[in-house]
Amino acid sequence: MKQMIFILTYAFIVLGIYTFGTVRENEDLSIALNGQYSKSMTDASQKLGELEEAVNKSLLFEDQKSSAKEREDIWRLSSDIKSSISSLPVDESFSTSWMNYLGRLGNFAKESTEQGDPDKYYGVMKRASENLNELTSEWQLATKDMFSRRMSMSNWEKKLRDSPDGQANWSKMGESVMEYTEAVFPLTASESDAEKKKELRNIKEKKITEDEAIQKFKKLLPSVSNDIIAAEKSRKGAPYPFYHIRFAENSSIGYLDLTEKGGHVLSYLVERRMGKPTVSYEELEKMADEFLQKAEYKDLVLEEARENDNAWHFVYVRVSPENDAKVFSDPIHIKLAKDNGEVIGLNASEYIRKEQPKPQPIRTAEWHTFFRPDVTVMAQELAYVENSQKEQRLAHYLTIVSGEENLETYKILVDTETLEVITTEKQ
Amino acid sequence: MKRITKRFLFLLLAGIMMFSFFASHSEAFSGRDLAKGAKGDDVIELQARLQYIGFYHGEIDGNFGYGTYWALRNFQEQYGLPLDGIAGKGTQKKLKGISDYDEKYVKGQIAKGHQFTYYGGQSLESQVKKGSAPHKQSQTQMQAPPKYTDQDINLLANAVYGESRGEPYEGQVAVAAVILNRVEHADFPDSIGGVIFQPGAFTAVADGQIWLTPNERAKEAVIDAINGWDPSENAIYYFNPITATSKWIWSRPQIKKIGLHIFCD
Repeated sequence: MKQMIFILTYAFIVLGIYTFGTVRENEDLSIALNGQYSKSMTDASQKLGELEEAVNKSLLFEDQKSSAKEREDIWRLSSDIKSSISSLPVDESFSTSWMNYLGRLGNFAKESTEQGDPDKYYGVMKRASENLNELTSEWQLATKDMFSRRMSMSNWEKKLRDSPDGQANWSKMGESVMEYTEAVFPLTASESDAEKKKELRNIKEKKITEDEAIQKFKKLLPSVSNDIIAAEKSRKGAPYPFYHIRFAENSSIGYLDLTEKGGHVLSYLVERRMGKPTVSYEELEKMADEFLQKAEYKDLVLEEARENDNAWHFVYVRVSPENDAKVFSDPIHIKLAKDNGEVIGLNASEYIRKEQPKPQPIRTAEWHTFFRPDVTVMAQELAYVENSQKEQRLAHYLTIVSGEENLETYKILVDTETLEVITTEKQ
Repeated sequence: MKRITKRFLFLLLAGIMMFSFFASHSEAFSGRDLAKGAKGDDVIELQARLQYIGFYHGEIDGNFGYGTYWALRNFQEQYGLPLDGIAGKGTQKKLKGISDYDEKYVKGQIAKGHQFTYYGGQSLESQVKKGSAPHKQSQTQMQAPPKYTDQDINLLANAVYGESRGEPYEGQVAVAAVILNRVEHADFPDSIGGVIFQPGAFTAVADGQIWLTPNERAKEAVIDAINGWDPSENAIYYFNPITATSKWIWSRPQIKKIGLHIFCD
């Protein structure tokens, strides 16, 4: 009897451990799988937006060479979306027709670059642009529940299968895509590499000591530098050595990083409780200007400003003394609190190693023939920007609008020597 | 007596009409000047009023972007106002005088996530596309550089909260910056979703904490990171030395330690 009880108890414990392990493993697998599906889903959603943008961008230019990059992006992105869609367990009919649409779109863009008729390209892509806009909206609507309500992939798939007419569902989306495919056909660029980090390891200036770093902090930001918690040097693996100073002054907690060589500000950030906004935009802009002047950043011009809940973020860029061109690779970001105008953030890491662009001829262009007739150039300046070969090029920096009623705004940089388009960014 | 009664009734009626007009047509301009880059309720009112009189055709979302800027300049040009693209007191006054603003309708549609317009002379019902998807820029009340979408920001906030909610603010910004550094790095996927959901890349994805609802602090940290701040100083890895199980991670060149995380190249 005793033996029997022992065996049963033992078996019960073993079974319990096994069950626990299996359940745990299944849970882990389920979470991992949902993560995978969400990745494919977000990739597809993001790239669908990028694709729509690329098609619109490619419609801006009269000259086919100017839109060569966009056409290439159309081909690449449609292929990427196909890949994401193929890894998702979605309705087969829908995924087949969508992949078909994407394949035809990508091929059309690729072929038209090699042997294109500009008018035919414009006609087809104009319709593709409209289709993609519709499709993006439908896809956003379809994936809304998946993201906002964190539905599992299978529940989400089932929901779209069972949804009644009038709401997003597989059959409706499949039909739409088939219609688009029959009627006609679309990337965008990973052009954001322009924000290349500077090689700070090559700074040639004299090293400063920890005390000198602290003194610099006190001079730059006297209101928060009385209570320093710690000042330490970066670890050995840092590509460029720096001092990391942490402080806690009243309710403000933050840090300042300064390079060891030359004592240049890398970044500074404060967290504190914010009060009710009382300082106007104009006053804040003036305060930002004054701070930068006092901090010896004297060759900057304001390029962009963005309001958020508690602060305004300002982006300044250096102006080349030779030709007043903006140097986008030499920016300074500054953040001011809306409650009292205090500087609560400064980021100057890309400004430290200033670009040294080479002289470059300036050719002018006839913009009314360079762009499609529905494009209007609203502003024109000069700017230095990095091209795909990582060279700093002087460019015509154009702000244009396209369309008739709902105007889309783009920033376009055109090389002043070759008149090639370096970047096109939708605003 | 009859005349007095009539006058009284007339005044009463006029009073009621004026009250109902002002009560239903709120004047929410806060008094501040509105420039490109601004956001908030008064930008919603600005966009709605410009749309009401046919100058603005974009989404009413409370973000003062280029669409609002051009519409405002066109309005200023047509009405002989200083052409600066800033809705100052003079411009706001003129706009209020010739347009209407139904705050309840406009904000109600935004809250419901409907696609809608607010053109004058058309019934409001006909201007709502029910069951429509929220427009691309209307889901977050954050202003970010144009290359980032709402989905990017939301995903980043989820990742930051799931990975580092107990860390100092600086450490949370650094976690967001590491994700962004990876997007730019040739060894990693080229999208934010791709980086975050790369198998085995982040603990919060593996244990499901990525789906916790992020708090305002995590969202602020994301906004600072996408605006250029990088307290990690260009790190592409980080780990908690107390819980890290991988020996390999210790071989990475270490840059700095923030809170419990060591940031590496």
